[in-house]
Amino acid sequence: MGWRWFHQWGSPRLFYERAGRWQLVCGWLALILLVAGSLWGLGFAPVDYQQGNSYRIIYLHVPVAFLAQAMYAAMAVCAVVLFVWKMKLADVAMQAIAVMGFAFTALALISGAVWGKPTWGTYWVWDARLTSMLILAFLYLGVIGLRAAIQDPDQAGKACGILVLVGVVNLPIIKYSVEWWNTLHQPASLKLTEKPAMPASMWVPLLVNILGYYIAAAYLVLGSMRAIVLERERRATWVKELVGRA
Amino acid sequence: MIFEPIQIEISQLRCERDDRLLFKNLSIKLESGQILRVAGPNGAGKTTLLRTLAGLFDIQEGEIRLNQQPLKEYLERILYIGHKPQVTKDLTVLDNLKFLTDVDETALKSALSAVGLKGYHDSLVKELSQGQGRRCALARLWCVDAPIWILDEPYTALDVDMVKTLDARITEHVANGGVCLFTTHQPPQQLDYQTLELGHVD
Amino acid sequence: MSIEKRMLARELKLIAARPGDIFKPMWFLILVISMVPLALAPDSDLLAEIGSAMIWVATLLALLLNTEHLFQSDFSDGVLEQWLFLDRPLAWLVGLKLVAHWLFHVLPLILITPIAGLMLSVPTEVLIALLITLFVATPALTCFSGLGAALTLGSSRSGILGVLVMMPLFVPVVILAAGVLIRATDGSDTLPLLALLGAFSVVAATLVPIAVSAAIRLNIGGSN
Repeated sequence: MGWRWFHQWGSPRLFYERAGRWQLVCGWLALILLVAGSLWGLGFAPVDYQQGNSYRIIYLHVPVAFLAQAMYAAMAVCAVVLFVWKMKLADVAMQAIAVMGFAFTALALISGAVWGKPTWGTYWVWDARLTSMLILAFLYLGVIGLRAAIQDPDQAGKACGILVLVGVVNLPIIKYSVEWWNTLHQPASLKLTEKPAMPASMWVPLLVNILGYYIAAAYLVLGSMRAIVLERERRATWVKELVGRA
Repeated sequence: MIFEPIQIEISQLRCERDDRLLFKNLSIKLESGQILRVAGPNGAGKTTLLRTLAGLFDIQEGEIRLNQQPLKEYLERILYIGHKPQVTKDLTVLDNLKFLTDVDETALKSALSAVGLKGYHDSLVKELSQGQGRRCALARLWCVDAPIWILDEPYTALDVDMVKTLDARITEHVANGGVCLFTTHQPPQQLDYQTLELGHVD
Repeated sequence: MSIEKRMLARELKLIAARPGDIFKPMWFLILVISMVPLALAPDSDLLAEIGSAMIWVATLLALLLNTEHLFQSDFSDGVLEQWLFLDRPLAWLVGLKLVAHWLFHVLPLILITPIAGLMLSVPTEVLIALLITLFVATPALTCFSGLGAALTLGSSRSGILGVLVMMPLFVPVVILAAGVLIRATDGSDTLPLLALLGAFSVVAATLVPIAVSAAIRLNIGGSN
């Protein structure tokens, strides 16, 4: 299906060029934050008196787990933008975020399993947070699979949009029901409303890393969006010129 | 019955599918009593145009107005028969029509006689030949009171007699103030129609 | 005749023409349940303990199997696109179709579960709870699997994609139903959970048909 960009801002070529610049900024910013936060967290933050050094995986696990959930919300926002303003760039974002969201969810599951081994003595327990993360992974897979099954990108985008909106309404219900089903996990260690239970020397590097991972996610999504724009616009003259030059 | 005057106005219609521009700047006016044949090679966008007019496709760019009103308000005055069978194989001829139309059984039976399916009322569509199945789908033209007919490949699989019957019915319909749009690859002999040629877009 | 009556009449006639559509999922359910003692052990205490959960999951699978192609043949025959010209909102017609599907295809499945319960020595009070949860929960399940069927209509190689896409959304229903069954086994009060389950079904039955109609419209817009 062809492209009609309702907003000048949404012009694929303009986006491609601007996103390239943003990507560069995001890339460097993320690198600095992640190196700083990770070195601080892994090397200098104090040892946990209960879990020893194994707790340090939170500097990876917590940010990716946050992102795994935030990206589904971001996808839902894109779906709304797609249906309300018919902006095709929102669909490109949805496609990019679905894959990245699944990757972060998988990373959260794997890091959770690795953390689980020293903490609970096993890689997998049917704990509430792991379980809802697993369901989230299936939700992402569904969106990716649905897009892959429908040939026309425009139609695939709308179908995914419907699925994502239905999913985002259900997500809190799934989360609460899973929590109700199993409330055996340690309480969330970082809540925005409460003073965190950790000392500052532990949670400040965690915050740095959370910020770093968010910006890194933006970097990845922008890069993947640029690639999708190129693929979908492959018949446009500017893409041919761009590829010809390279 | 005699229909109220109708005016269909297509202006600056543009459509792309699968990265291919099918038509652009398409503007036509149609009025009661007119027949329009949409022609063009395979893949030229004939079906797409008809389905857009029937409200099955969203308009990508441009406008379609019926009596100065947006198309969406008029969907119940359109009778669309696509190139898919439009009938359910596991149901009888009569049951198929009973679901799709809100007409009493006598009217349905006379419509079926008109298309030569008398005596087949209780046959399952899957037991019929392809042409007979097509006749069953077309029988709605004899019993539904919609002024605008949009027919995609109505002549497919029909024999010479049925083609004549259909042509006569279309002529009668437009004489009553209706409008008919159709596609076909075999230009009908007995119809007085205008032709819209698609497929000349770069 | 009103569209509603025509729709129900058509469903009934289709069932008369294809009775196998009703029996195959029931057959599947009983067959799966027969596998359980073979895979586990013919120990009636053990079977009674996991029986209700097994029956629930097997019924869920049978329902999914049954609903996967809900709109497929009407879509490929081009009858589904005629729904857009009927003088009713598409979401309403979709709702009717789902109601008819639940009545004629899901209800028989629920009614056969007591036989499965006997096969797995499920105690009577749990069996009653099982039947009630299925009554209350299946409308939501039917709606969601209908959405899966509608979303994958236009794709010829979707396979069981509709099922895979919708299954994660069943989690709350399964959890609540399991909660009811556990309480029924304990002999404690099941009513609050049943009320929640019912609320979920009511909300799903109201809202999901809108999403299904959007998905159908989308697929009609994309087909030739």
